[in-house]
Amino acid sequence: MKEGYRNRIELLQGTLDLLILQTLLWSAQHGYGISQAIRANSGDLLQVDAGSLYPALHRLEKQKWICADWKISENNQEVKVYRLTAAGRKQLTRERSRWEQISDAIGGVLNPGKKESAS
Amino acid sequence: MKLWSLWRKREKELEKEIQHHLQMAAAERGERGASRRDAEAAAKREFGNVELVKEVTRDAWGWRWLEDLCDDARFSVRMLLKNPGFTIVAILSLALGIGATTAMFSVVYGVLVNPYPYVNTDRMVHLTVQETRGNPLFINLNGPQLQQLRQAGSLESVAAMQGWNLTTTEGDLPEDVRAAYLTSNSFIFLGVPTLLGRGLLPSDAPEGQDPENVVVLGYQFWQRHYNGDPDIVGKKIQLVHKSYEIIGVARPRFTWGDGEVYLPLKLTADPTRTYFPMTRLKPGVTRAAANAELQSLLEQFAKQTPSHFPEHFHVTLAGLNDHFVERIGGTLYLLLAAVALLLLIGCGNVSILLLARGTARQHELAVRSAIGAGRSRIVRQLLTEALMLSLGGAAIGVAMANNLVKLIVDWLPEFSFPHEAAISINLPVLFFSVGLALLTGIVFGISPALRSARPDLAQVMQANARKTTAGVRGRRTHSILIAGQIALTLLLLAGAGVAMQGFLGMMRVNLGYDPHNTMSVGIPVHDDNYKTWEARGTYFHQLLLKVNEMPEAVSAGISTNATPPNNGWDERFEISGKPAAEEQRARLNFVSAGYFVVLRIPLLQGRIWYESEAMHGANLALINQTLARQYFPNGGAIGSEIRVPALKGEPPLDLSAAGSDGWFQVVGIVGDARNDGLRNPIMPSVYVPYTIMMPVFTQILVRTNVPPLTVLHAVREQIHTVDPDQQSDRDVRDLDGWIKHEPEWEQEHLVATLFAGFGILALVLAATGLYSVISYTVAQRTGEFGIRMALGAMRKDVLLIVFRSAAMSVVAGVLAGVMLTISLNRVFTRWIEGSSLDALVLAGVILLLVITSGLSCFIPARRASSVDPTVALRYE
Repeated sequence: MKEGYRNRIELLQGTLDLLILQTLLWSAQHGYGISQAIRANSGDLLQVDAGSLYPALHRLEKQKWICADWKISENNQEVKVYRLTAAGRKQLTRERSRWEQISDAIGGVLNPGKKESAS
Repeated sequence: MKLWSLWRKREKELEKEIQHHLQMAAAERGERGASRRDAEAAAKREFGNVELVKEVTRDAWGWRWLEDLCDDARFSVRMLLKNPGFTIVAILSLALGIGATTAMFSVVYGVLVNPYPYVNTDRMVHLTVQETRGNPLFINLNGPQLQQLRQAGSLESVAAMQGWNLTTTEGDLPEDVRAAYLTSNSFIFLGVPTLLGRGLLPSDAPEGQDPENVVVLGYQFWQRHYNGDPDIVGKKIQLVHKSYEIIGVARPRFTWGDGEVYLPLKLTADPTRTYFPMTRLKPGVTRAAANAELQSLLEQFAKQTPSHFPEHFHVTLAGLNDHFVERIGGTLYLLLAAVALLLLIGCGNVSILLLARGTARQHELAVRSAIGAGRSRIVRQLLTEALMLSLGGAAIGVAMANNLVKLIVDWLPEFSFPHEAAISINLPVLFFSVGLALLTGIVFGISPALRSARPDLAQVMQANARKTTAGVRGRRTHSILIAGQIALTLLLLAGAGVAMQGFLGMMRVNLGYDPHNTMSVGIPVHDDNYKTWEARGTYFHQLLLKVNEMPEAVSAGISTNATPPNNGWDERFEISGKPAAEEQRARLNFVSAGYFVVLRIPLLQGRIWYESEAMHGANLALINQTLARQYFPNGGAIGSEIRVPALKGEPPLDLSAAGSDGWFQVVGIVGDARNDGLRNPIMPSVYVPYTIMMPVFTQILVRTNVPPLTVLHAVREQIHTVDPDQQSDRDVRDLDGWIKHEPEWEQEHLVATLFAGFGILALVLAATGLYSVISYTVAQRTGEFGIRMALGAMRKDVLLIVFRSAAMSVVAGVLAGVMLTISLNRVFTRWIEGSSLDALVLAGVILLLVITSGLSCFIPARRASSVDPTVALRYE
């Protein structure tokens, strides 16, 4: 437990939105599923706490980048499932390219020599 | 409500979503082998504070403010319900103010802001001129003149109207119907669609042909005569034995010319027939420019038909509502100001109550602030409480306003406001009231909220919730509020006193005639009947005889245009052998000899003409005392000769006796009777036999030995026996009724009654305010009084302390009120005509206020002085 805690990385402002949108790109997911997917795909490095996840989901929903449906799960429970909208898809591309620019820029700063090959 | 259910739904969904998250997390841990309890606990631990997550998620909805508002509102309602006495007094104080203001505003809005349903009313003007004495006159034009007016460059369009009394010839007695004949472009000119069917169209009155027999019903007539029959269009109506097809029904607010039915008008070339024009200016043309253009045109018309114009005049076009604004605008604004004062007094009351309670709540607020409530959060909470009060007050107030509006509409002078006006609590008025409620909530709530939200933590907590004497500052605020309330109340009461004095003075005016048990029955003559002078004279005489022979009739007379208290035609006259230096004008009345008997107007000198002389149209005249005194100061009136140059008939409508514009011999002098309303001095009057001039209208005055209106039906039947088609005016009143119909009577009655009502309400509010403050201070100082009495103070000493604390603010309030009243005296004298502040009224008002204040202090003061010191000292 302590180990996991220490390995957690504070997410950069705005990157959580990107991660959520990306997670929803291929399949619709409920809130818990999204947090598990992010955790698994980051090799347990990124853990999204509920206090960040749910406000983010509701904010994205309000901006109409994702939308939610209520479905019945296997054990007969109502589950709120989020999926990407067309606007969300566009937003994802925008955010991705922005992220790539940032990471390139940071990479460029950290490795000044490789500037040309980065672009 | 919809918002609320949406909120509840989202709240539930969020709960479900989080529960699902926890279950999934626990289930996964369970699969990895943890026990159920451990799994659930771990899932919860990882998730963190569920309520916190919910709250930050809700923030993402952007509804945080609403949530706070709901919390505040819920809390406020709880607090208010816990203090029902406070809440009821506060809400009622506000309801009175807001209700009265809403009612007055709806009248102002209906009459002055949005009176007409017609299109482009801002460019519609009445063709009015000012004669030499500055009196405005409406000008009527004949057919050819109207055609010429249509060519005027400054006018966009011209329509015309002629009013006429018709009768329905279907029922047992002929019923009078006010018909408005409109040029066929009028419905397009006015631009109001009909309720049913269609309006009049140019094709209804083709050029050079007689108009079609079609009629548009006025809304009221449709309701009254046909009970609002929805299938009326296409049916026929009989008017004076002629059948008309009903083509439409006008909307309720379409009351142009107060017509009950609208018929197409054909302009004739007959120069004596005149019509009432209505005109609309071209866009961008100023009234001054139009006045200048029309001046030369009208001067040209005046040469063609001099009798239709005053001798000298200049054109001053008047806007549609100008006349009414002048008549009633000031009065309405005055009343609006009065209710605004009432509202202010109500606000003062609630402020006082809130302040008092704020002090009592200091401990609670200090605790809240100590555990982290921000100042703005507390202010918001207190303001929400204030707003709940004002909205509650507004709800009750608007409900009460509805009744008040009906009362005011009943009391409005009948011809001092446009009948198109829709005076009711409508949407704009409701917006006004809600806005007003919010504003008042802030006005009375902000200062207590700001003061209470700044509790001195250390002091309040240390005081250990023990009641201490209120701070000096709190008391000063109270004193100022009380003084302000008393000053405003004094102003309102003084206004009420002035208005009532004026009204009572008018009621006491010496009329000069006896209005009791007398009524006047108006009789409009049909277009094509009794066209010769002899025939019409005989007809009128027969009508008179028939009414006179009724057993209930004490006496009867003809009063063509002479029913007091505002009667006669204003005409220029000459006295034989006395060339006039300046214009001599008198009220010219056409009456029968019985007129003076019916009205009990005494004959002072000479004689009254005999009926036989009247039947010949003899040139005999009676004058009133004022004329005799003014023009024959040394006597010699009897036997002199007077002449009214303009007294000449225009057949076939107005039939005059031969030589009517010649010299008349004065045979007697009668007593003065009111002839220019109740307020103005009596004008010189000339009475001549009714046969001298017979228009298409007469009136029979009858004095009865029973209440006159009870025999109205019998009178109508008598008239019916002379001519089965002869209707009489529907609006028949007794002479007391006509006095009450005078605009000045109605206006002063309205102002006096409303002002008195508002004044009394203000007094009650101010007394409540004072009572609350004193009770509250007494309760606060119970401990102090206990100490004083334990140290030997007598009951009267305590009474004195309490009275002294109130006396300062009452005296200051009275002084401020007197100064305010005196400085506003000009406003009173301007708008409450015929009255001004006198010392007696002011003294009475002050006395009333002081006594009321004394009583409001006395009750709590007695309570204070009768405390048992031992109880008081332990009192907590």
